[in-house]
Amino acid sequence: MIIDHPLLGPRDAAEFIYLGDAALIDRPDWQDEDAADKFYEYGYLRDNIAGKMQELWYHEQGDRSWLVVTRDTLTHEITDVEMARNVARARGRSK
Amino acid sequence: MPDFTLISAPPLAGYDRSFGDIQLIAPTDLAIVSIALPLGGEDAAKKAIKTAFGIALPEVGMSNVAKDKTSSIMRLAVDQAFVLFPSATPDAEPQIAAKLKGAAYTTDQTDGWCALQISGPGARRALERICPVDLHPNAFAVNAVARTVMEHMGAIVARTGEDTFLLLSASSSAKSFLHAVEVSAQNAT
Repeated sequence: MIIDHPLLGPRDAAEFIYLGDAALIDRPDWQDEDAADKFYEYGYLRDNIAGKMQELWYHEQGDRSWLVVTRDTLTHEITDVEMARNVARARGRSK
Repeated sequence: MPDFTLISAPPLAGYDRSFGDIQLIAPTDLAIVSIALPLGGEDAAKKAIKTAFGIALPEVGMSNVAKDKTSSIMRLAVDQAFVLFPSATPDAEPQIAAKLKGAAYTTDQTDGWCALQISGPGARRALERICPVDLHPNAFAVNAVARTVMEHMGAIVARTGEDTFLLLSASSSAKSFLHAVEVSAQNAT
């Protein structure tokens, strides 16, 4: 499998490590009223998607960047690769 | 005082061997210092690099030789670059830190890496068996740099000339890395 890194171009999947659902970017606010419930969901509950899914991949044997990879879980087809830092900032993260 | 002294010796220094049309040399006295761009201070750091080296920080995946030709800068990631230059003394990091005047974080990497230069018309033939990155001249231009993995060992490959590549890998597995490149060169002759 080849992952087309947005900065470095196509790279072999062996250079990457898979983490999981990109929803991990959306860390709940610890000061929320229902923070305990939200962190339970954040920590343990995942959608089991058959189709296009946004996933976090880490380019460990490369530039050490985190990526958000849109992959079809049925076909393994990768349709989009973004820098996770850009995705996080677009979702309102400051850093 | 103990009556013995430790002599620092780079793991592959002095290595020089040819395999047909492939030359394999370990450069001596190669110092490596990493530059990390501070979060929020990227522009100031880039300006300091321009002032210190006379060249702009290269794009990610590219390297460039400093204006005075004494060092080269490899941009390995958005906020990380390596400076390579010949230096026999263990003061590589202070040299670069002084040039950047605190605008970026610098760390000495010299002892962490071993270097091998592979050159000759057959260099690409030897590398294509162990390097997963496409090194075809059309895909990997002169001055291109890639951090990747060869034979399960993390490595940096940099194209420093038409048929010349500089390989960097961990000094702790230097001999295994040399063996991997040697065997590949032997197989390609």
